[in-house]
Amino acid sequence: MADPTELSLAEASRLIAAKKLSPVALTEACLARIDALDWQLDSFVTLTAERARADAKAAETAIMADGPVSPLHGIPYCLKDIFNTAGIRTTAQSKLLADNVPAQDSVCQAKLAAAGGVLLGKTATWEFAHGGPSWDVLFPPARNPWNRDYSPAGSSSGSGAAIAAGFALATLGTDTGGSIRGPAAACGIAGLKPTYGRVSRCGVIPNCFTHDHAGPLAWTTEDVALLMQVVAGHDPQDPGSANIPVPDYRAALTGDVSGLVIGVPMRWLADELPPKPETSAVFDAALSVFKDMGAEIRDVDLPPLRAYEDAKKIIAVAELFTIHGADLRTRPELFGASLRYRIIAGGLVRAEEYIQAMRARTDLARAMQAAMATVDVMMLPTAEPAGKLEPIDPETLFTKLSYTTAFNVGGNPALSVCCGFAGTGMPFSLQIVGRLFDEPTVLRVGDAYERATPWRDRRPALLARETA
Amino acid sequence: MTAPMPDREQILALAAQAGLTLPAAYEDELVAAYANVRRMIDRLPANRPRGDEPAHVFVPTKFLPTEN
Repeated sequence: MADPTELSLAEASRLIAAKKLSPVALTEACLARIDALDWQLDSFVTLTAERARADAKAAETAIMADGPVSPLHGIPYCLKDIFNTAGIRTTAQSKLLADNVPAQDSVCQAKLAAAGGVLLGKTATWEFAHGGPSWDVLFPPARNPWNRDYSPAGSSSGSGAAIAAGFALATLGTDTGGSIRGPAAACGIAGLKPTYGRVSRCGVIPNCFTHDHAGPLAWTTEDVALLMQVVAGHDPQDPGSANIPVPDYRAALTGDVSGLVIGVPMRWLADELPPKPETSAVFDAALSVFKDMGAEIRDVDLPPLRAYEDAKKIIAVAELFTIHGADLRTRPELFGASLRYRIIAGGLVRAEEYIQAMRARTDLARAMQAAMATVDVMMLPTAEPAGKLEPIDPETLFTKLSYTTAFNVGGNPALSVCCGFAGTGMPFSLQIVGRLFDEPTVLRVGDAYERATPWRDRRPALLARETA
Repeated sequence: MTAPMPDREQILALAAQAGLTLPAAYEDELVAAYANVRRMIDRLPANRPRGDEPAHVFVPTKFLPTEN
């Protein structure tokens, strides 16, 4: 068999179920690859190799006796280091939590473990999933496997890098303004921000309560669908959790998009945040793929991107200060400069201003759902291809627009898939946005695109050279 | 919600009211960051109806007994 670390989750799962791939061998292959290559990417901050070996052996024994309990049984995965893991350090990349060892698993981790997954370890994040990249926090920032001089984006940086590098077959991240979709885009993999409330955030260190989402990243959309089946569902411990039945995500992947109506927010792309010419051409080419498969493209009009960014960032800065106020008052030097700059003014936001921002959020979410009601999905780039890994001017943390944050404000499911490669070797990305709780359509569309294009056949060349 | 931009001393006074007495090294950060936050606040729509309730209302169904 070829290198098992280049299998998708779905491929590995099928081979494990057929008893043609050993979870122990797969886990050992991932651990060997991490050992050989992660020194140049810093994607893992904690490796749980002995636990992984024990879990893989237990999974193999159980599968040989009774078959797999889920498609994740025996599959090596990793977690962004803001998901609580019982007995395993969970730091949020912050000096403030350098010695934090949770007593309980997050709900997501408990579900992945119950499904038979094999936890390899914890991956790098921007500090508290918000401020970064930083060189003055607990660990160095992760790097992009397509070229280690480039950024893997954030905040689920290590998760995105680890999947693209073939260190793990599955991971979870979190997304408050684009932190799953950004790294998925930068690293050329699939990443889904589910509908707000679809996946429990219980036991996930908070960033901004009203906009936080947990969700999967993996090599393909099919893999993401399999992960969603494990982690989606109502959790009364999460105040934002929705009590809505979970559909069969894998069954939605029919490959058929004929008759689909795709909305494109033309005004955003023409006036407010025009893509660079190469990105625009690649996006048009992606739309042509869907036209050729029988989909219809039309314009959708939405409120200004700036209005979405303003509402979200005012809410976020106030909520972040609420979460971190005690530490800011007593030991501000333990924060990285990037995060501290982003949250330090939150204590000065008055209650009236926070509530006005929440009112604006409601209006903007309603406008989003009204626009989505006229189409099946919306499409736009996720981000420009990744740039060099370097400090971000703190001013831009407040002023920069993105293609992703509006869908945190709306709460809509949004998937990023790879749609080509730039001259720098960095991946291009396509964002597919759905109606609330309509992950099945979003996943169907992403999967159909991946089947129709060759982008899943390419792995990071830098790593191939390093392993030779 | 446009209001005059507070000057440095006023921003530091607001911070003190929030219990945030920062080392001098971080005061410039605070002043610069608050200017950005203030500009976003000033762009928010204002003059809303009295009854315009925001999203984070109390949802009593969240507190009903559950079997989960």
